[in-house]
Amino acid sequence: MSADALTARRGRPPRARTSARATAQPLTLSQIRWVGAMLIAAQLPQAPYVPLWIALFGITLVGLRLWLARRDATRRTAAPARIPSWTLVLFAIAAAWFVRVSYGGHLAGREPSVAFLFILVGIKFLESRTRRDGTLLVCLASFLLITPFLSSQSPFAALMAVPAMLLLGGTLDALNRGAAPAPPWRRTLLRIGAMLLQGLPLAAMLFLMFPRLSAPLWGLPQDYAAQSGLSDTMAPGMISELSLSDAVAFRVDFDGPVPPASQRYWRGPVLTRFDGRVWSALLQRGSGEFTPDERGDYRYTVTLEPSNKPWLFALELPTRLPQLAGNTDDFTDPGRMVMLTPDRQLITRAAITQVTRYTQVSALRDHFPAASALDVRLAKLPARGNPRTRELALALRERHPEDRDYVAAVLAMFHDEAFVYTLTPPLLPTDPVDMFLFDERRGFCEHFASAFTVLLRDAGIPARVVTGYQGGEINPRGGYMIVRQSDAHAWSEALVDGEWQRFDPTAAVAPSRIERGMASALPAGEPVPLFARLDGGWLKSAQLTLDALNHAWRRDIVGFNDARQRDLWRDLNITARNAPWIMGLAALLVGGWGAALLALLAWRRRHVERTTALWHAACTRLAAAGLPRMPHEGPLDYARRASARWPQFAIAFAAIAESYAALRYGGAASRPAEHAALLATLARAVDVLPPPGALRTAV
Amino acid sequence: MAADVPASPAPDPFVSPVAPGYLARQRQRVFRHAPHDADAVVLRHSRIYILPTRRGLAVIGTLAVMLLASLNYGLSLGFVVTFALSGLVAASLLHTFRNLAGIEVKPLSAGESFAGGRLAFALAIDGGIAPREAITLAAGDGESVRVDVSAGAVVPLSVERVAAQRGRLALGRLTLSSDFPLGLWRGWAYVHFPLAGVVFPAPEMGAPPLPAGAAGADAYSTARSDEADLAELREFRHGDPLSRIAWKAVARGQGWYSKQFEGSGGGGPVALDWAAMPAGLDTEARLSRLAAWVLAAEHAARAFALSIPGAALPPGQGREHRRAALTALALYNP
Repeated sequence: MSADALTARRGRPPRARTSARATAQPLTLSQIRWVGAMLIAAQLPQAPYVPLWIALFGITLVGLRLWLARRDATRRTAAPARIPSWTLVLFAIAAAWFVRVSYGGHLAGREPSVAFLFILVGIKFLESRTRRDGTLLVCLASFLLITPFLSSQSPFAALMAVPAMLLLGGTLDALNRGAAPAPPWRRTLLRIGAMLLQGLPLAAMLFLMFPRLSAPLWGLPQDYAAQSGLSDTMAPGMISELSLSDAVAFRVDFDGPVPPASQRYWRGPVLTRFDGRVWSALLQRGSGEFTPDERGDYRYTVTLEPSNKPWLFALELPTRLPQLAGNTDDFTDPGRMVMLTPDRQLITRAAITQVTRYTQVSALRDHFPAASALDVRLAKLPARGNPRTRELALALRERHPEDRDYVAAVLAMFHDEAFVYTLTPPLLPTDPVDMFLFDERRGFCEHFASAFTVLLRDAGIPARVVTGYQGGEINPRGGYMIVRQSDAHAWSEALVDGEWQRFDPTAAVAPSRIERGMASALPAGEPVPLFARLDGGWLKSAQLTLDALNHAWRRDIVGFNDARQRDLWRDLNITARNAPWIMGLAALLVGGWGAALLALLAWRRRHVERTTALWHAACTRLAAAGLPRMPHEGPLDYARRASARWPQFAIAFAAIAESYAALRYGGAASRPAEHAALLATLARAVDVLPPPGALRTAV
Repeated sequence: MAADVPASPAPDPFVSPVAPGYLARQRQRVFRHAPHDADAVVLRHSRIYILPTRRGLAVIGTLAVMLLASLNYGLSLGFVVTFALSGLVAASLLHTFRNLAGIEVKPLSAGESFAGGRLAFALAIDGGIAPREAITLAAGDGESVRVDVSAGAVVPLSVERVAAQRGRLALGRLTLSSDFPLGLWRGWAYVHFPLAGVVFPAPEMGAPPLPAGAAGADAYSTARSDEADLAELREFRHGDPLSRIAWKAVARGQGWYSKQFEGSGGGGPVALDWAAMPAGLDTEARLSRLAAWVLAAEHAARAFALSIPGAALPPGQGREHRRAALTALALYNP
């Protein structure tokens, strides 16, 4: 607490006539309330994203100050309550401790910093005495406004920032009023709202034109919370668990026809290594080749939700590298380089931490030539454990020496025997493939894919598991496809006849899973998530509408990045070469905005202040006729003086003065009918007055 | 704002220090150093300057940090909020401008004061049809007045300056400023009227009594005239000082009488003569003593004549006479 603040607190409040350089102006009660309301409005959107205790602590500190200020105001005689500085230090230490404990011993880093700021505003508010402190709090609160967006950029998050922005402006207004009586808070908020709206065209212009970065200035720390989604390993039960989630994995806008449901295999991580229980991906060097395809290509744009993983999903099979929206041929974004692995998986160099859009072209193919010998060798690695499966494979292999026949026999086994497709598979503690094939016979797609692949490998056929999504639902509201986590799927790929071919053992067991989605293939009573059900009812319909809005939001607002901006400029035929042109355009737009706003303000004033304008017109006319109004003269006195000079217009003068006085000071504004009548009287009476020249000569 | 007009004895404010020439004209246009605004001034865009206040700079700095964070983390909504607040800041600039533009400032009159007091200048602000909020008027030495002008009103106000020395005191350059509505921007305009008031010499404290009137002889009597012996009561005449009313007679119901004294000094008009003062006194001390005598003569309701080098006033009495005498003393220029 500064010495300044203390003396200011004791000093007299500033009078109406103040020196311009009053140094420390104390906060009034109304200003403290504004600041407090602003802080709470800025804290609330952030509160869900900090630990509960920190949220409660930070908001309580603000509440405490408000309560103290109120108590001070009610007992005027008592000395104002002051929080001792050791308490503040204690609060700060407690805050640091809270943050440290909540973030596993971390104090530095993005999220702990935000949490600390969250409490800091409360501590600072507790010791705020002067208007300068108020200004500092406004600055801190503005920064707190954008921190929730690190966690969520939903329309709701944007909406939550609006009250805080209004209160921020209101606080600035209150701080600027000094000790003068404050106008009603509603009017202040309306004024600030109007000013925000007036600034909106400029804001939109900046949003569209301000250059964005393609790569961050400083490192993006890892998030603590892992997003749900596919991972680079697959153990029994993992995909079925993922399938319980309604969360959206990505959305797809197709340019042209939509592929049939049974062909919508969205290729994700390819898993080659198997330790008897868990499938995992192998990092491979080199890059894969694209297979040109003579059949019709599908063009589409994927809007991928952040997954914190480096994978991009594409329909099997991609025929070229995806283009991150806006990437032109002459520009390769180093931070987002995409490559195709030898096992035909699209990966980026950096994990997807924000909504990413990319355009992709695919050909619907379920087979492609083997790329390298290594690829094949890796896919032959013998699986450990699961001895009964190996026996079965060897027995089958004796009967079907041809690869093609063998695969068909395995698929037939899944189809003919009593396997059950279920979202709630039993636990398989040891040798899971053995237990699944011979004991339980109940499983989800990962069990079928795993068992199928192991059976092929045991027979010496190179095979691997491919994970990804299968299916997707067209949202009729927006005409785009939603692919949810509940569409997660696993299938197999085997090298047969010199080509990698796709085999989906799940299709052999439950064909409708592939045709119509998971819900159609599962028996009744399975815990299918609501939005994956076939008949979601009105709730699902409402959700689809919401999702369409959300998709537009993601595409056009949240997804407006450097790439989209370049697209926009390219569409406008603006390139980096004509930068002066861009500057000129920007200057022109800003100037146009300013001029338009000034014109609006002038027009509105003229419109609103009709009463004043009429009165002014009458005064000007009399002044021109040689009878100016004295600065101290009220309307009625002036009318009396004018009547003495020109008695023939006495009635008009009286009507003008009385209606004007009633309109301005009589509170007629709240009674519209009376207001209109008075205004009409005033207008007519002013109309009656002759022009100044005639008045001057009138006797 | 520094005092741009030296207090006093000031150079004659009606003579322009600005030499004709392009640069000088531009300087005058920007800073209004010379009092060339003869009549009422309407503030237009060419006169209004706007710069951010410290609060404005703090807020703009914060917006810059928010922008940087939004850039780094690719927060589109961060951009939205940052730019929306920037829009608010920019709109408030235009509101600040609107609040000042079109104000009419009228010079009314300059007052008078003794040295050491405060000299008031009367001005009026006509806001026109728009309400004007939180307008601050500051004269040279930092004294400022803050007013709100409601729509259609003409607000008279007075700006005071410290009257340090006798002579003419110009109002100097006025600064009209306002940081309405949010305190993020301060708009200001200079107005320089040729308005100057007169600062009388400070009357000497404990000055010797008035010299004797022309009718008497003993010019330097020690007795003060109102302590002299009561000579007679005569019928009260309009214009007699109230202090001479014989209240006891009034209380007794005998009617209204004025006391007439007979001191050792003479009656009749007093001659306040520069030349007749002791030779050891310097100029300012003489002026101070003469000012004190003028007040004393006025107080005693006696007519006086004033003669100082370069000015002479015939015997006279009353407010106007007193004012003329004090003004002559104030503007004495050896």
